[in-house]
Amino acid sequence: MKLRSETAEIQEFLGKYCKTGEEVSIPGITDGRVHHYRRLVYNVVKNTMDQAFPITVSSMEEEEWNNLVHEFFANHQATSTQIWKLPYEFYQYHFSRDTGSKLEKPYLGDLLYFEWAEIKIHTMPDKDAGDFINEGNPITGRFVLNPEHELIQLSYPVHIHPVTKVEENKGSYYVLLFRHPDTGNVKFLDLSILHAFMLTKVQETGDSIEKFKGEIARIANVESEKFLDEFLSDFVLKLMDRKMILGYHPNFK
Amino acid sequence: MIMEGSVGIGLRRDIADIIISSDIIHPDFIEFAPENWMGIGGYWNKIRQHAVDKYPVTCHGLSLSLGSPEDLDWKFVKELKTFLDENKVEIYSEHLSYTKSNNAHLYDLLPIPFREDAVDHVADRIRRVQDKLGRQIAIENVSYYTPVAAEISESQFITSIVEKADCKLLLDVNNVYVNAFNHSYDARAFIDQMPLDKVAYIHMAGHEQVEEDLIIDTHGEPIIDPVYELFEYTVKKMNPVPVLLERDYNFQDLPSIAEELEKLRSIIKRHWEVAHETAK
Repeated sequence: MKLRSETAEIQEFLGKYCKTGEEVSIPGITDGRVHHYRRLVYNVVKNTMDQAFPITVSSMEEEEWNNLVHEFFANHQATSTQIWKLPYEFYQYHFSRDTGSKLEKPYLGDLLYFEWAEIKIHTMPDKDAGDFINEGNPITGRFVLNPEHELIQLSYPVHIHPVTKVEENKGSYYVLLFRHPDTGNVKFLDLSILHAFMLTKVQETGDSIEKFKGEIARIANVESEKFLDEFLSDFVLKLMDRKMILGYHPNFK
Repeated sequence: MIMEGSVGIGLRRDIADIIISSDIIHPDFIEFAPENWMGIGGYWNKIRQHAVDKYPVTCHGLSLSLGSPEDLDWKFVKELKTFLDENKVEIYSEHLSYTKSNNAHLYDLLPIPFREDAVDHVADRIRRVQDKLGRQIAIENVSYYTPVAAEISESQFITSIVEKADCKLLLDVNNVYVNAFNHSYDARAFIDQMPLDKVAYIHMAGHEQVEEDLIIDTHGEPIIDPVYELFEYTVKKMNPVPVLLERDYNFQDLPSIAEELEKLRSIIKRHWEVAHETAK
């Protein structure tokens, strides 16, 4: 026997009620009981968002935050089978609707993405970085990068300032997030545009810094090769120390 | 291998280190929800791997939504099969409920209308899932707080689905107690109506009474004596299967959780003379 349309409709009524909290007439239910389903469903979603976005939660009134969660869940068709991925859908929902501007919190999209990125890097599947060695030349050697990382660009410095200070510091910020290979903890670094450019080139080409050092010199208007080598080497050694760069390619050290 | 009559506990992140170290809690096997661990790397992947290396594993799904009107998520089923195989999962179970409506996940268990057409619909979906997974699955009787447009009894609903789908039953004894309380029926008579020869696995848990006539299945409290008594009544009537203590939060008093595991073992030993294989 195929599922009757009436049965399917009843199931959808209950689902819609749990999603929106808007009461509907559902046949054959016990009075005063069905609201528990809405409560349980909403609490699961709310708790997930509370845990995913602690900075955002602390930056606004409880009612305002609750409204964001309610609006999202009532109107969005959640697609993820894994609830820990739902915060990304929450970010996408509010970013695409420019909720930040409507709430006069233009940094909201950046803040939600920064908080999501930490979860993303922390949980992303393990990737094989390949072989590497510790000895090499920071300028002419090729690096083996920690594969669990993401370089993001923000307009508001939500990663270094409290939200009360971010609007007055609007600009271009580059944040490198990566997962420490031993502890699994997520670290982040605020990068200058030159460092971000260098890292992007390394990521994209796999080449040594030597290959695009001239380009960096032109952008930075630096004439001293010695100064530039020291500037870039210091950055490389810092990334190695933090284990964002794992080492050198064995054949191109 | 999970021995019949062994006692396990859910692998929750709050107590994962403790379960792996076996310092306080000594389960014979562990259970986890695939959705909480699939596709995850880093620290939690290492923890899962340690746990899987140490204990036999069962999995209890959350998002398959066997009771939904819309089509199953076959991409998810495929990923699930890979995960179950990779983790050498011996028993995979899911809830006899729906968690997805109108193509939106709801992340909690909604009651399916107890109706003949729903029996056929759900049984067909279970069969198709079993075909894709290449294994029988066990379906769990869920707790529910209101019936929805029921036309047949709960026991008839469950029994018919197990028979038509040719699947196993995960008998949640606490859920039977909760439902009997909430809907004023005899829990032992309900157990008598279950296809006990099809039970692959038993769940035990605590709950919370939130109103004079309503219990919510929380998995956050100790098991109460009447549920132990119902468990003993059930155990006496059936062959040995693995038994799981479900505890999702409130882990402050670990020794009392260890005592719950021991209490389950003592009841089992009284009625099921089985060899226990402790985890290596």
